Amino acid sequence: MDILVCPVCKGELELTVEEENEEEIVTGALHCAKCDVSYPIEDTIPNLLPPDQRA
Amino acid sequence: MKEAEIKKVVREGYARRVRERSSCCAPSGADLSRKVSRAIGYTDEELSSVPEGANLGLGCGNPVALASLAPGETVLDLGSGAGFDAFLAAGRVGRKGKVIGVDMTPEMIEQARANAQKGGYTNVEFRLGEIENIPAADSSVDVVISNCVINLSPDKARVFAEAFRVLKPGGRLMVSDIVLLKELPDFIRNSMVAYIGCVAGAMLKNEYLETIRDTGFQQVKVVDEAAFPVEWALGDPAVQAIIDKLNLAEDKLKDIASSVVSIKVQGIKPK
Repeated sequence: MDILVCPVCKGELELTVEEENEEEIVTGALHCAKCDVSYPIEDTIPNLLPPDQRA
Repeated sequence: MKEAEIKKVVREGYARRVRERSSCCAPSGADLSRKVSRAIGYTDEELSSVPEGANLGLGCGNPVALASLAPGETVLDLGSGAGFDAFLAAGRVGRKGKVIGVDMTPEMIEQARANAQKGGYTNVEFRLGEIENIPAADSSVDVVISNCVINLSPDKARVFAEAFRVLKPGGRLMVSDIVLLKELPDFIRNSMVAYIGCVAGAMLKNEYLETIRDTGFQQVKVVDEAAFPVEWALGDPAVQAIIDKLNLAEDKLKDIASSVVSIKVQGIKPK
Protein backbone atom coordinates (compact mmCIF):
# COMPACT_ATOMS: atom_id res chain seq x y z
CA MET A 1 0.00 0.00 0.00
CA ASP A 2 2.87 2.40 0.75
CA ILE A 3 4.02 1.95 -2.84
CA LEU A 4 0.66 2.82 -4.38
CA VAL A 5 0.33 6.33 -5.84
CA CYS A 6 -1.93 8.28 -8.18
CA PRO A 7 -1.00 7.26 -11.76
CA VAL A 8 -1.43 10.83 -12.97
CA CYS A 9 0.29 13.11 -10.41
CA LYS A 10 2.14 10.32 -8.49
CA GLY A 11 0.79 11.84 -5.28
CA GLU A 12 -0.40 9.97 -2.20
CA LEU A 13 -3.75 8.24 -2.16
CA GLU A 14 -6.23 8.16 0.69
CA LEU A 15 -7.89 4.83 1.28
CA THR A 16 -11.59 4.35 2.05
CA VAL A 17 -12.64 0.82 2.96
CA GLU A 18 -16.16 -0.37 2.24
CA GLU A 19 -15.63 -4.07 2.73
CA GLU A 20 -12.65 -6.08 3.87
CA ASN A 21 -11.81 -9.61 4.96
CA GLU A 22 -8.97 -10.90 7.10
CA GLU A 23 -6.42 -10.59 4.35
CA GLU A 24 -7.35 -7.68 2.16
CA ILE A 25 -9.66 -4.89 1.16
CA VAL A 26 -12.44 -6.21 -1.05
CA THR A 27 -14.27 -3.02 -1.96
CA GLY A 28 -13.29 0.58 -1.44
CA ALA A 29 -11.68 3.56 -3.05
CA LEU A 30 -8.37 5.36 -3.30
CA HIS A 31 -8.73 9.11 -3.50
CA CYS A 32 -6.19 11.54 -4.85
CA ALA A 33 -6.80 14.90 -3.22
CA LYS A 34 -4.58 16.79 -5.65
CA CYS A 35 -6.35 15.53 -8.79
CA ASP A 36 -9.70 15.13 -6.99
CA VAL A 37 -10.15 11.70 -8.52
CA SER A 38 -11.29 8.47 -6.87
CA TYR A 39 -9.87 5.16 -8.01
CA PRO A 40 -12.23 2.29 -7.19
CA ILE A 41 -11.20 -1.00 -5.55
CA GLU A 42 -13.50 -3.75 -6.76
CA ASP A 43 -13.22 -7.42 -5.88
CA THR A 44 -9.84 -6.63 -4.23
CA ILE A 45 -8.36 -5.14 -7.41
CA PRO A 46 -7.49 -1.43 -7.41
CA ASN A 47 -8.35 0.20 -10.73
CA LEU A 48 -5.51 2.66 -11.24
CA LEU A 49 -6.03 3.28 -14.90
CA PRO A 50 -5.91 7.04 -15.59
CA PRO A 51 -9.52 8.34 -15.56
CA ASP A 52 -9.55 8.93 -19.33
CA GLN A 53 -8.51 5.31 -19.92
CA ARG A 54 -11.25 3.66 -17.91
CA ALA A 55 -13.36 1.32 -19.97
CA MET B 1 -2.96 5.00 -35.74
CA LYS B 2 -3.77 7.11 -32.72
CA GLU B 3 -2.43 6.11 -29.31
CA ALA B 4 -5.84 5.73 -27.71
CA GLU B 5 -6.99 3.55 -30.58
CA ILE B 6 -3.93 1.31 -30.29
CA LYS B 7 -4.47 0.87 -26.56
CA LYS B 8 -8.12 0.00 -27.09
CA VAL B 9 -7.40 -2.59 -29.76
CA VAL B 10 -4.55 -4.12 -27.73
CA ARG B 11 -6.74 -4.32 -24.64
CA GLU B 12 -9.59 -5.94 -26.55
CA GLY B 13 -7.24 -8.31 -28.34
CA TYR B 14 -5.71 -9.56 -25.10
CA ALA B 15 -9.07 -9.78 -23.33
CA ARG B 16 -10.11 -12.14 -26.12
CA ARG B 17 -6.98 -14.20 -25.54
CA VAL B 18 -7.90 -14.77 -21.91
CA ARG B 19 -11.26 -16.07 -23.04
CA GLU B 20 -9.94 -18.19 -25.87
CA ARG B 21 -6.65 -19.13 -24.25
CA SER B 22 -4.97 -18.36 -27.56
CA SER B 23 -1.77 -16.40 -28.11
CA CYS B 24 0.55 -14.52 -30.39
CA CYS B 25 3.30 -17.02 -29.97
CA ALA B 26 1.26 -20.19 -30.04
CA PRO B 27 -2.03 -21.66 -31.16
CA SER B 28 -4.42 -22.30 -28.29
CA GLY B 29 -4.02 -25.20 -25.88
CA ALA B 30 -2.18 -25.82 -22.64
CA ASP B 31 0.21 -28.35 -24.16
CA LEU B 32 1.38 -25.90 -26.76
CA SER B 33 1.76 -23.05 -24.25
CA ARG B 34 4.01 -25.38 -22.31
CA LYS B 35 5.99 -26.45 -25.34
CA VAL B 36 6.55 -22.86 -26.43
CA SER B 37 7.51 -21.81 -22.90
CA ARG B 38 10.03 -24.59 -22.60
CA ALA B 39 11.56 -23.57 -25.90
CA ILE B 40 12.01 -19.96 -24.74
CA GLY B 41 13.94 -21.01 -21.67
CA TYR B 42 11.62 -21.85 -18.79
CA THR B 43 12.30 -25.13 -17.01
CA ASP B 44 9.70 -27.84 -16.48
CA GLU B 45 9.98 -27.19 -12.78
CA GLU B 46 9.07 -23.54 -13.27
CA LEU B 47 6.20 -24.43 -15.56
CA SER B 48 4.80 -26.87 -13.01
CA SER B 49 5.18 -24.48 -10.08
CA VAL B 50 2.49 -22.02 -11.15
CA PRO B 51 -1.29 -22.49 -11.19
CA GLU B 52 -2.81 -23.85 -14.37
CA GLY B 53 -3.94 -20.98 -16.57
CA ALA B 54 -1.21 -18.59 -15.42
CA ASN B 55 0.89 -19.34 -18.47
CA LEU B 56 -1.00 -18.29 -21.59
CA GLY B 57 2.12 -18.77 -23.70
CA LEU B 58 2.13 -15.09 -24.63
CA GLY B 59 5.65 -14.09 -23.68
CA CYS B 60 8.97 -14.21 -25.39
CA GLY B 61 10.65 -15.42 -22.19
CA ASN B 62 12.34 -13.76 -19.26
CA PRO B 63 14.04 -16.52 -17.27
CA VAL B 64 17.31 -14.56 -16.96
CA ALA B 65 15.58 -11.75 -15.09
CA LEU B 66 13.82 -14.23 -12.83
CA ALA B 67 17.08 -16.00 -12.05
CA SER B 68 18.62 -12.72 -10.84
CA LEU B 69 16.00 -12.06 -8.17
CA ALA B 70 17.07 -12.25 -4.53
CA PRO B 71 15.00 -12.93 -1.40
CA GLY B 72 13.41 -9.78 -0.01
CA GLU B 73 13.37 -7.82 -3.26
CA THR B 74 10.38 -5.84 -4.53
CA VAL B 75 9.61 -6.61 -8.16
CA LEU B 76 7.31 -4.82 -10.58
CA ASP B 77 6.04 -6.77 -13.60
CA LEU B 78 4.88 -4.52 -16.44
CA GLY B 79 2.08 -6.18 -18.39
CA SER B 80 1.72 -9.05 -15.96
CA GLY B 81 -1.00 -10.83 -17.94
CA ALA B 82 -2.32 -13.95 -16.25
CA GLY B 83 0.55 -13.80 -13.77
CA PHE B 84 3.02 -16.44 -14.95
CA ASP B 85 6.23 -14.44 -14.47
CA ALA B 86 4.87 -12.69 -11.37
CA PHE B 87 4.30 -16.07 -9.67
CA LEU B 88 7.77 -17.32 -10.60
CA ALA B 89 9.21 -14.05 -9.28
CA ALA B 90 7.18 -14.45 -6.08
CA GLY B 91 8.86 -17.78 -5.44
CA ARG B 92 12.26 -16.15 -5.88
CA VAL B 93 11.78 -13.13 -3.62
CA GLY B 94 10.09 -15.16 -0.88
CA ARG B 95 7.85 -14.03 1.96
CA LYS B 96 9.83 -10.91 2.73
CA GLY B 97 9.80 -9.86 -0.88
CA LYS B 98 6.92 -8.59 -2.93
CA VAL B 99 5.75 -8.73 -6.53
CA ILE B 100 3.41 -6.19 -8.07
CA GLY B 101 1.83 -6.91 -11.43
CA VAL B 102 0.37 -4.12 -13.55
CA ASP B 103 -1.81 -4.77 -16.58
CA MET B 104 -4.33 -2.60 -18.41
CA THR B 105 -6.66 -5.45 -19.40
CA PRO B 106 -9.30 -6.17 -16.71
CA GLU B 107 -9.77 -9.76 -17.92
CA MET B 108 -6.04 -10.44 -17.48
CA ILE B 109 -6.00 -8.97 -13.96
CA GLU B 110 -9.06 -11.04 -13.00
CA GLN B 111 -7.42 -14.19 -14.32
CA ALA B 112 -4.16 -13.36 -12.50
CA ARG B 113 -6.03 -12.69 -9.30
CA ALA B 114 -7.90 -16.03 -9.59
CA ASN B 115 -4.58 -17.76 -10.24
CA ALA B 116 -3.02 -16.10 -7.18
CA GLN B 117 -5.83 -17.46 -5.02
CA LYS B 118 -5.49 -20.90 -6.57
CA GLY B 119 -1.77 -20.92 -5.89
CA GLY B 120 -2.07 -19.42 -2.39
CA TYR B 121 0.36 -16.56 -3.12
CA THR B 122 0.53 -13.95 -0.37
CA ASN B 123 3.35 -11.79 -1.71
CA VAL B 124 1.86 -10.92 -5.11
CA GLU B 125 -0.59 -8.09 -5.88
CA PHE B 126 -2.17 -7.14 -9.15
CA ARG B 127 -3.35 -3.69 -10.15
CA LEU B 128 -5.25 -2.49 -13.13
CA GLY B 129 -3.05 0.21 -14.57
CA GLU B 130 -1.09 1.48 -17.51
CA ILE B 131 2.61 0.94 -17.98
CA GLU B 132 2.82 4.51 -19.34
CA ASN B 133 1.34 5.76 -16.03
CA ILE B 134 2.65 3.32 -13.44
CA PRO B 135 0.71 3.60 -10.17
CA ALA B 136 3.83 3.08 -8.03
CA ALA B 137 5.82 5.61 -5.99
CA ASP B 138 9.23 6.98 -7.04
CA SER B 139 12.23 4.84 -6.06
CA SER B 140 10.06 2.07 -4.62
CA VAL B 141 11.10 -1.14 -6.40
CA ASP B 142 14.31 -3.13 -6.81
CA VAL B 143 13.62 -4.72 -10.17
CA VAL B 144 11.33 -3.96 -13.10
CA ILE B 145 10.59 -6.98 -15.26
CA SER B 146 8.46 -7.22 -18.38
CA ASN B 147 8.02 -10.01 -20.84
CA CYS B 148 7.13 -9.21 -24.43
CA VAL B 149 4.84 -6.28 -23.58
CA ILE B 150 6.63 -2.96 -24.12
CA ASN B 151 6.45 -3.44 -27.90
CA LEU B 152 2.68 -3.06 -27.55
CA SER B 153 2.95 0.42 -26.06
CA PRO B 154 2.47 3.38 -28.42
CA ASP B 155 4.84 5.41 -26.19
CA LYS B 156 7.82 3.23 -25.29
CA ALA B 157 10.04 6.14 -24.18
CA ARG B 158 7.46 6.97 -21.57
CA VAL B 159 7.31 3.36 -20.35
CA PHE B 160 11.09 3.34 -19.80
CA ALA B 161 10.92 6.76 -18.11
CA GLU B 162 8.26 5.42 -15.75
CA ALA B 163 10.31 2.29 -15.05
CA PHE B 164 13.29 4.53 -14.26
CA ARG B 165 11.20 6.66 -11.91
CA VAL B 166 9.85 3.77 -9.83
CA LEU B 167 13.21 1.98 -9.53
CA LYS B 168 15.37 2.60 -6.48
CA PRO B 169 18.85 3.95 -7.21
CA GLY B 170 20.90 0.90 -8.18
CA GLY B 171 17.70 -0.91 -9.24
CA ARG B 172 17.59 -3.04 -12.37
CA LEU B 173 15.49 -3.03 -15.49
CA MET B 174 15.33 -6.55 -16.92
CA VAL B 175 12.98 -6.91 -19.84
CA SER B 176 12.49 -9.20 -22.77
CA ASP B 177 10.85 -7.91 -25.90
CA ILE B 178 10.42 -8.17 -29.63
CA VAL B 179 12.56 -5.80 -31.72
CA LEU B 180 13.34 -5.42 -35.40
CA LEU B 181 16.62 -5.68 -37.24
CA LYS B 182 15.15 -3.74 -40.16
CA GLU B 183 11.93 -1.86 -40.86
CA LEU B 184 8.86 -3.90 -41.72
CA PRO B 185 6.88 -3.31 -44.93
CA ASP B 186 4.05 -0.78 -44.49
CA PHE B 187 1.27 -3.29 -44.93
CA ILE B 188 2.46 -5.14 -41.83
CA ARG B 189 3.13 -2.02 -39.82
CA ASN B 190 -0.42 -0.89 -40.52
CA SER B 191 -1.93 -4.22 -39.55
CA MET B 192 -3.62 -4.27 -36.18
CA VAL B 193 -3.41 -8.06 -36.02
CA ALA B 194 0.35 -7.80 -36.48
CA TYR B 195 0.36 -5.16 -33.75
CA ILE B 196 -1.31 -7.45 -31.24
CA GLY B 197 0.98 -10.23 -32.46
CA CYS B 198 3.88 -8.21 -31.01
CA VAL B 199 5.39 -7.34 -34.39
CA ALA B 200 3.95 -4.15 -35.91
CA GLY B 201 4.58 -2.08 -32.77
CA ALA B 202 8.15 -3.29 -32.36
CA MET B 203 11.01 -0.78 -32.64
CA LEU B 204 14.32 -1.16 -34.37
CA LYS B 205 16.75 -2.82 -31.98
CA ASN B 206 19.22 0.08 -31.95
CA GLU B 207 16.49 2.64 -31.34
CA TYR B 208 15.11 0.48 -28.54
CA LEU B 209 18.47 0.36 -26.75
CA GLU B 210 19.04 4.06 -27.43
CA THR B 211 15.67 4.91 -25.86
CA ILE B 212 16.63 2.98 -22.72
CA ARG B 213 20.00 4.76 -22.53
CA ASP B 214 18.40 8.17 -23.14
CA THR B 215 16.16 7.53 -20.15
CA GLY B 216 19.24 7.48 -17.93
CA PHE B 217 19.85 3.76 -17.53
CA GLN B 218 23.48 2.68 -17.40
CA GLN B 219 25.24 -0.56 -18.36
CA VAL B 220 22.49 -1.20 -20.90
CA LYS B 221 23.16 -4.48 -22.64
CA VAL B 222 21.50 -7.26 -24.55
CA VAL B 223 22.04 -10.44 -22.54
CA ASP B 224 20.37 -12.74 -25.03
CA GLU B 225 18.96 -12.59 -28.53
CA ALA B 226 16.95 -15.17 -30.44
CA ALA B 227 15.01 -15.39 -33.67
CA PHE B 228 11.32 -14.76 -33.12
CA PRO B 229 9.45 -18.01 -33.67
CA VAL B 230 7.31 -16.76 -36.51
CA GLU B 231 5.95 -20.22 -37.22
CA TRP B 232 4.08 -20.00 -33.92
CA ALA B 233 2.50 -16.72 -34.92
CA LEU B 234 1.60 -18.39 -38.18
CA GLY B 235 -0.42 -20.93 -36.23
CA ASP B 236 -2.73 -18.06 -35.29
CA PRO B 237 -5.76 -18.20 -37.59
CA ALA B 238 -6.00 -14.41 -37.72
CA VAL B 239 -2.40 -14.08 -38.87
CA GLN B 240 -2.94 -16.84 -41.39
CA ALA B 241 -5.97 -14.99 -42.75
CA ILE B 242 -3.89 -11.87 -43.37
CA ILE B 243 -1.20 -13.83 -45.16
CA ASP B 244 -3.78 -15.49 -47.37
CA LYS B 245 -5.46 -12.18 -48.07
CA LEU B 246 -2.21 -10.50 -49.03
CA ASN B 247 -1.12 -13.49 -51.03
CA LEU B 248 2.37 -13.40 -49.54
CA ALA B 249 5.00 -15.55 -51.14
CA GLU B 250 6.92 -17.82 -48.81
CA ASP B 251 10.34 -16.28 -49.46
CA LYS B 252 8.97 -12.80 -48.84
CA LEU B 253 7.48 -14.05 -45.61
CA LYS B 254 10.78 -15.59 -44.53
CA ASP B 255 12.56 -12.36 -45.27
CA ILE B 256 10.14 -10.44 -43.06
CA ALA B 257 10.41 -13.09 -40.37
CA SER B 258 14.20 -12.86 -40.28
CA SER B 259 14.05 -9.20 -39.30
CA VAL B 260 12.09 -9.92 -36.11
CA VAL B 261 14.06 -10.98 -33.02
CA SER B 262 13.38 -11.46 -29.33
CA ILE B 263 15.91 -9.86 -26.98
CA LYS B 264 16.55 -9.80 -23.25
CA VAL B 265 17.87 -6.43 -22.13
CA GLN B 266 19.09 -5.13 -18.83
CA GLY B 267 20.02 -1.72 -17.49
CA ILE B 268 20.81 -0.18 -14.11
CA LYS B 269 19.46 3.02 -12.59
CA PRO B 270 22.57 4.84 -11.33
CA LYS B 271 23.04 5.24 -7.58
